[in-house]
Amino acid sequence: MSETGIITYAVLIPLLPMLAFPVILFLGGIFNGTPGWVKKAREGGLIALTVMGASLALSIMLILEHLHHTGASDIFTWFESSWWNSSTGDIRTDVFGVGIHVDHLTVMLLFVAAFLCFLINVFSIGYMNTDPINDNRNHRFYAEFVLFCSGMLGMVLADSFLWLFIFWEIMGLCSYLLIGFYYERPSAAYAAKKAFLTTKVGDVFLVIGLVMLWNLFDGHLDYAYVFNSANIAAVDPGSLQLALGMMFIGAVGKSAQFPLHVWLPDAMEGPTPVSALIHAATMVNAGLYLVARMFPFFAEADVGSLSTLAIIIACIGGVTAVMAALIAFVQVDIKKVLAYSTMSQLAYIFTGLGAALWLANNGYSEAAVLAMGAALFHLFNHAMAKGMLFMASGSVIHEMHHAHHEVAHHGDGHDDDDFDAQSMENMGGLASKMPIASTAMLVGSMSIIGIPFIGGFWSKEGIIANTWTVAMEEPIFILPALLVLGGAGMTGFYMSRMWFMTFAGKPKSEVAAHVHEQTPWIPIPLVVLTFMSLSAIIFAGMHSTSWLGDYDHGHFMGFFEYIGEELHHVFLNENPFLLMLTYVAIGLSAILGPSFAMALYGGRLDDGEKAKPWVQWAIDLSSKVRRNSHFDNSAWANSGLANSLHQRLHFDAVYDAAMLKLVAGFANITAMIDRVVIDGTIKLIESTSQAASQKVRLITTGSARDYIMMVALGTLGIALLLWGVA
Amino acid sequence: MSANSTLDIKNKEFILVGLLLVTVAGLAAFFPSLGSNAQGEVDWISLPLVGFPIVVSGILMAFASQESRARKEILAGPIRLATLCFSLIPLAISTALFFDWLIAVDWALGYNEYALESRYHWMESIGVSWHVGMDGLSFPMVWLTTFLVPVTIIMTWEEKNGAVYHPLLLMMGGALIGVFVSLDLFMFYIFWELTLIPMFFLILSWGGKDRRYASQKFFIYTFASSVIMLLGLITLYFLQPAQDASTNPWVGDLTGRSFDIVTILDQANHGNLGDGIFLGMGMQKVLFVLLMIGFLVKLPAVPFHTWLPDAHVQAPTGGSMLLAGVMLKMGAYGMFRLPLALFPDALMHYQHCIMAIGLISLVWGAFVCLGQTNLKKMVAYSSVSHMGVILLGIASMQPIGYAAALFMMFAHGIISPMLFAVCGAFKHHYHSMEIGAMRGMAKFSPFLAVYMMFAWMASLGLPLLAGFVAELMVLLAYWAIYGWWILLPGLALAITATYYLWSMQRTIFEGGDEGQPPATLLGENPPDLTLPENIGMIILAFFTVLFGVFPFIALGMMDDWTVAFFEGVFNRGGI
Repeated sequence: MSETGIITYAVLIPLLPMLAFPVILFLGGIFNGTPGWVKKAREGGLIALTVMGASLALSIMLILEHLHHTGASDIFTWFESSWWNSSTGDIRTDVFGVGIHVDHLTVMLLFVAAFLCFLINVFSIGYMNTDPINDNRNHRFYAEFVLFCSGMLGMVLADSFLWLFIFWEIMGLCSYLLIGFYYERPSAAYAAKKAFLTTKVGDVFLVIGLVMLWNLFDGHLDYAYVFNSANIAAVDPGSLQLALGMMFIGAVGKSAQFPLHVWLPDAMEGPTPVSALIHAATMVNAGLYLVARMFPFFAEADVGSLSTLAIIIACIGGVTAVMAALIAFVQVDIKKVLAYSTMSQLAYIFTGLGAALWLANNGYSEAAVLAMGAALFHLFNHAMAKGMLFMASGSVIHEMHHAHHEVAHHGDGHDDDDFDAQSMENMGGLASKMPIASTAMLVGSMSIIGIPFIGGFWSKEGIIANTWTVAMEEPIFILPALLVLGGAGMTGFYMSRMWFMTFAGKPKSEVAAHVHEQTPWIPIPLVVLTFMSLSAIIFAGMHSTSWLGDYDHGHFMGFFEYIGEELHHVFLNENPFLLMLTYVAIGLSAILGPSFAMALYGGRLDDGEKAKPWVQWAIDLSSKVRRNSHFDNSAWANSGLANSLHQRLHFDAVYDAAMLKLVAGFANITAMIDRVVIDGTIKLIESTSQAASQKVRLITTGSARDYIMMVALGTLGIALLLWGVA
Repeated sequence: MSANSTLDIKNKEFILVGLLLVTVAGLAAFFPSLGSNAQGEVDWISLPLVGFPIVVSGILMAFASQESRARKEILAGPIRLATLCFSLIPLAISTALFFDWLIAVDWALGYNEYALESRYHWMESIGVSWHVGMDGLSFPMVWLTTFLVPVTIIMTWEEKNGAVYHPLLLMMGGALIGVFVSLDLFMFYIFWELTLIPMFFLILSWGGKDRRYASQKFFIYTFASSVIMLLGLITLYFLQPAQDASTNPWVGDLTGRSFDIVTILDQANHGNLGDGIFLGMGMQKVLFVLLMIGFLVKLPAVPFHTWLPDAHVQAPTGGSMLLAGVMLKMGAYGMFRLPLALFPDALMHYQHCIMAIGLISLVWGAFVCLGQTNLKKMVAYSSVSHMGVILLGIASMQPIGYAAALFMMFAHGIISPMLFAVCGAFKHHYHSMEIGAMRGMAKFSPFLAVYMMFAWMASLGLPLLAGFVAELMVLLAYWAIYGWWILLPGLALAITATYYLWSMQRTIFEGGDEGQPPATLLGENPPDLTLPENIGMIILAFFTVLFGVFPFIALGMMDDWTVAFFEGVFNRGGI
């Protein structure tokens, strides 16, 4: 299977960052605080940037090489083991190899991961190295950062489910380290632990799924074997469905879906680049990648045999989409809004994947490939937009911090520690002060909402349409289909709400009035990603030509021809139902949701302040809507539902209580039983034997009379015994 | 001795130790001619690996034994240096044997075949011989022991009364190697009990507050269990079919029976051919249980484990490292060497019992860990939990499960010393073992915090660190037989992560940013690892990564061994 070309060097893509991890850590440990390290190397930031740049360059070369065909390359045999057939006595050798596998799915995820990791690295140099709280610990950040990137790149390139899992776990470790970056804060320590343990629950099921899969496929987890249609046909579909279901639980944990979603919002305790990295660009996509990888099983297994799992995937997605969107309604922390938005959008992708898998398993192979393309394209758009949104929010938070310092120092000198730079209730009116961030956030939000022609619009329409297409065939799918349709409107509301609260209206605090966009490095990725989101239609070119491994179905059309096709497909669909659906979805997400948000949170900037024209229109529109609507939401804001949304629907409280009462309680009981009962038994034996020997000792009286007596009794006893035997 | 001759004394000791060094180096050079086996090959095991550490450590201990306390202090420096140098010799030899530098060794052996085999007559009347050899089962453990002894010496470089302490570690190493290389039941049992003696003194003299209780409990508990094992061994000796001493020179003239493990395994293998059952099913069961009790206590498995936490908590760091690193594995090693190979029918009969014991050890141990407030006790129970994995591997009845158990022995042998070294350093710097007594350690002891996180992560089975492969392989084999029972090991994995993360949250993390060192530091500055501790940790961490990334280095040999074992024991000459 080995080939020549860039793929033989593909191993360097994850290996370089992995090797950079100890290098940065040790160099940082040695040179920490010296001027050269801080100024020239940016505390390791430039080392990381070099490495990530090299990885990105290699990735792009690899992608160009493999746009039209799959590739594989073996690296080495990790280990071998043997399997004994107890009835025949034969011993089979199982090889656990390491290798690279490249197909459409790899290509897309690889581009997303490598590109965003690089941009986030650029952003980090601006964000991390200008914050005094990070002084002398940035080397730790960059070291963990590159290791994390290595995990993501490795996971995407791995050629077996085993190595996918190995890199998956490395990412888990790094997310733990990065979320707990401010280790001295109890909240960060708690969040880090929570993230690791919640995903670990999923990982345990993933391991079990892998174990089942390995046993089903006679000791293989490598794609080359398990995706072979003859091998899939030989497997019992019921067992396969269980195995894949177990693996899906792992994906649920990693991608923060209901009911293992609780870690994601808390994980915002990490520095903002970490949020961008983990929660938008890379790690949360790992679960999606895993599910997308299962596509060949669904396509090759008996018709309808894996439908249940596809339905479950779609339903989990639908439920999470609406639940997360609801919670996002009431969040005031800008990063938390984005966290719930991430959760919700990932859920969209899961629903889309569920639909694609259902189609694949029920014989609609053409439609399945298109649906898969839509779901994966949403992954792409979401990663770009959300990475940008997180970085832009980071820019806002960063400048808020700076402004807060200035204000505090110009004022009476006392530092107001209660100030929350992340709360949108302290922002407002930033559109004119932060042109780049406001533009980026506007485009990003529009992409996530699905405003026509921008970024996520293309893919979200696709997901909704595909889900409904399946719902026409399979009634249970109506549930996720309704949920994603409703969720589209909700997305429109909460994303608009976030943007207007932050950028429109009058400044809601003194600090917000003093904000300037001044930190170097930060704008670069924002600008790049803004254009990326705007030009999504170009990337959509690959969408209808099939993202998946089966390249024969795919065909590349001319660029303009394609755009025409796509526009026609979306806006003038021949199927009247789909046509109606498109306009309903647009109405909900692009008109209804944003209108509510404008009515509640819109407003003019301060007098004399003017944003860039491509932003100003939104502000003007919002103030117009607000003036004319007189919308009052106080009744709902004080309702029980809003209250429990503030409590995140009580999931966290229930889980914490279960952990504390059930698990820790049981652990304390076991520890007690271990000490009292098990060790107590040993101690009892010990004390009894001591007591017994104390008793026996009493026989040794030292008196000759007693001894003679005993000898006599003993002799008599022996005599009786002999007599009895005889 | 004149009062102004402190310097003199030091110089004298250095000269003495130097002389000793030269002598032993000379001895080392002459090892090849010190013994050779029947084929005329060099005996690389008896003297270099077993005899040398024990004899030399005895000499070193005698060196300072009659001296005053003050002179012992002075002697400690050179003696520990000498001990370190001497401990490196077996390491060099075992490493060289792996790389074929001394002699070409073929580790792809058949069942009941051994490399570097040497034997000498000892008590011909009852069939006792000095018989040593290594195979894929014992060699990794031997290398591990030779590796851990110098690392332990470095790690506990500043332990008090080093003039006796460090040689004791070396002696411990020699006795442990003796257990692994013995191919004679008599020898095996002698070394088995010999390991207790240095460990007993390590706990008794260098232990914590309750060291007297702990050392006695350790000694009596494990000794009592080995006596049960001895009962089994002697019964086995007498029940084996008698042979004619004229055809087999290793059979006792008087008894017609042999203590030789190879001979007994051959007979058992022969007896188990086809439908045959060596010694009959009833006797197989009895002997299997007798032997297993001895090994299960040593392992230790729940419910025979309570000596371990007491011993660990009281033992000095070095003692804990060797105890967890190698001594526990004697139990698992013994199982593979004797009962599993001798009594396959009894094994199949008790297969589910072994699984149950392993599962209980794994899950119960994990929960008990979570309920601990003492850091070292938690780590000690984590050993119990991990040893359960070995039993699961055995119960899986698959080569992959057996290889996993072997690899677990090896990997845990590197990881658990690091766990205990971290605990020791924590105690050393913060004068407490309570979890939560010290928070925000990352601020005051960044190196210790890094090593702690590394060791904890390795122990909870993070991929690309040594422990992961073993756990994965066990689960792969486990599912095939026990199906959905796999949820329980899965639960244990999650609980393991929970207790490790929970303990890290309350030691490494938190603590606010006041910048004030905690009161328990007692003004120590800097409160981070000493140079020897750092070196030791780095070595252990390096090998944890090495065997995690390249498991085939050790697994290749283990896989060969398990395949030969299955061919020999379970296939019964091909069903």
